[in-house]
Amino acid sequence: MLLEIEGLTKTYRSRIRRGRDVRANDGIDLSVEAGQVFGLLGHNGAGKTTLVNQIIGLLRPDSGAIRLEGRDAIADPAFARRACSLQPQAQLPIDGLTPDQAIELIGRLRGGDRVEVRARRDRFIDELSLAEWRRTDGQRLSGGVKRLVSFAMAAVVPGSVVILDEPTNDVDPVRRRLLWQQVRGLADEGAAVLLVTHNVVEAERSVDRLAILDRGRVIAQGTPAELKSGVAEELRLELVLEPDAAAPLPAPFIQRYVPNGTRAVATIPAASAGDAVAWADALRRDGIVEEYSVAPATLEDVYIELVGRADTLSDKEAIDALAA
Amino acid sequence: MPSLHDFWLGATTRRRSWRPSGGAPSATTRGTRTDRLPGDLLRTYALLVRWQALRLKGFLPLAIVVQSLFALGIVIGYPLLFPEIDPLTILFLATGAPAITLISMGLVAVPQVVAQARLAGSLEYIRSLPVARLVYLFADLTVWMAIVLPGVVFALAIGVLRFGLDLDVTPLVVPAFLLVALTSASVGYAMASVLPPTIAMLLTQVLVVFVLMFSPLNFPPERLPEWLQAIHAFLPVQAMGEVIRGTVASSTFPTTVGAWALLAAWCVGGLGIAYVTLRRRG
Repeated sequence: MLLEIEGLTKTYRSRIRRGRDVRANDGIDLSVEAGQVFGLLGHNGAGKTTLVNQIIGLLRPDSGAIRLEGRDAIADPAFARRACSLQPQAQLPIDGLTPDQAIELIGRLRGGDRVEVRARRDRFIDELSLAEWRRTDGQRLSGGVKRLVSFAMAAVVPGSVVILDEPTNDVDPVRRRLLWQQVRGLADEGAAVLLVTHNVVEAERSVDRLAILDRGRVIAQGTPAELKSGVAEELRLELVLEPDAAAPLPAPFIQRYVPNGTRAVATIPAASAGDAVAWADALRRDGIVEEYSVAPATLEDVYIELVGRADTLSDKEAIDALAA
Repeated sequence: MPSLHDFWLGATTRRRSWRPSGGAPSATTRGTRTDRLPGDLLRTYALLVRWQALRLKGFLPLAIVVQSLFALGIVIGYPLLFPEIDPLTILFLATGAPAITLISMGLVAVPQVVAQARLAGSLEYIRSLPVARLVYLFADLTVWMAIVLPGVVFALAIGVLRFGLDLDVTPLVVPAFLLVALTSASVGYAMASVLPPTIAMLLTQVLVVFVLMFSPLNFPPERLPEWLQAIHAFLPVQAMGEVIRGTVASSTFPTTVGAWALLAAWCVGGLGIAYVTLRRRG
């Protein structure tokens, strides 16, 4: 295992009042091996970034263990920063630097040889389709391009563990695909990739294993297929409403129902597929629904189910957090 | 606690090697063995200087303009306050101008930019890289000194030209300017590292007024009320002025060892606080 975390707990002490402490990480166990893309899912404030900052030694855990390549990372944060490369969630302020310069400098700061770093940088620039901006000042780059540059900075001389915190934010759909190929490429090269995201839909397609974090605890862990096994007998009915139509009341066979703006998502038992299609089609004829679809339940449904059960989010917030 | 040896050498990286095709790093080159060589530290330092210099290059023209305005204001503007001006006052103004430009950059511009870097998360990013904190601190301060020095030379030159002064500069001028620049930048750095960013930025405004109006840089300290003299005996500002005056106009102004020692103490204190803050794990 390249990354092993056991019983990791971190509490932020309130400076104002005792008893207001926030337990950001609460007994987290997880491990990521070489060649694996591991997704860490959770809504804002679930404790994802706190976990990352402990791995790279910027925060000290209250208790628990972090081992990188079998070595105690808590005792040796300088080692942790060599072993991990990080794409942070915040946009990097690279004003004054071009993507070429930023990627090369970080690669060399991480110990890479100039010629080899340049060759690898050129490959990322090419494969992420960034060539037209490679000599543009960072100040004038769009958010999506900056995000891709930030990824290349983490990947140009990767650690044995590569941590990507929301790598696809602001990135256009075409380059998102290119980015996911590169993420997979890093794992194929032998890195353990820890992918932090709240984008469940993308994570389902891209990760080998994942953990769902909620209020600092891992509430589920496994492969996407394992996590979905609980909803194998369920279908997902999605309605797109006509612009001015109010969301229809749920039919009796609907198990969970989340209306959100012009969209409504319902979970139904597989046996009710016929009834669901008939119901939705009637709504379409009545001019309430523009279009609908019935499909197998996704990881998103599992996520809402699990996090909803933990009772931390209203459905509206859950949908907002999930909307990519 | 890691040893001294560890904090200098423990955080350096080693060179990794790939096939030059730009292909994958091989399994053996991903390891984490550390080359504990001073050459690695120098290499990291040079790369960080380049990183910070590129990031701050837009700041250089602005710094030169602001410093030049300060210098012009002091050398050309202040004399207008006096109906008649004696040679000693002129010398005070001409030698006070470079000191003021240097101090204001260190205590005002440095904390503002560092506070912004904290707010924007770029400091946090640097902290996530495998670079020794002390090397980063020195690299950043090096860039700051390079930004500050052209304006200081201009300030001195303008005084000499305006009044046709004959300065007697001693070789100690180089360490004097470096020490003043490093001390003011480290104190500014420490300020921005410890205080919340908005408070740090506010404090810089207070310091401008204090340095410009209430510090014995353009006039002898005896003109201040006694209580303020007593305070200035411990603050670095007066010593900064003395050290600079004593090395560019050495026949008129003596420098005391005490001034150098006081500055050195503030410098070490500032660096120490900045270093500890950079290293701290929450």
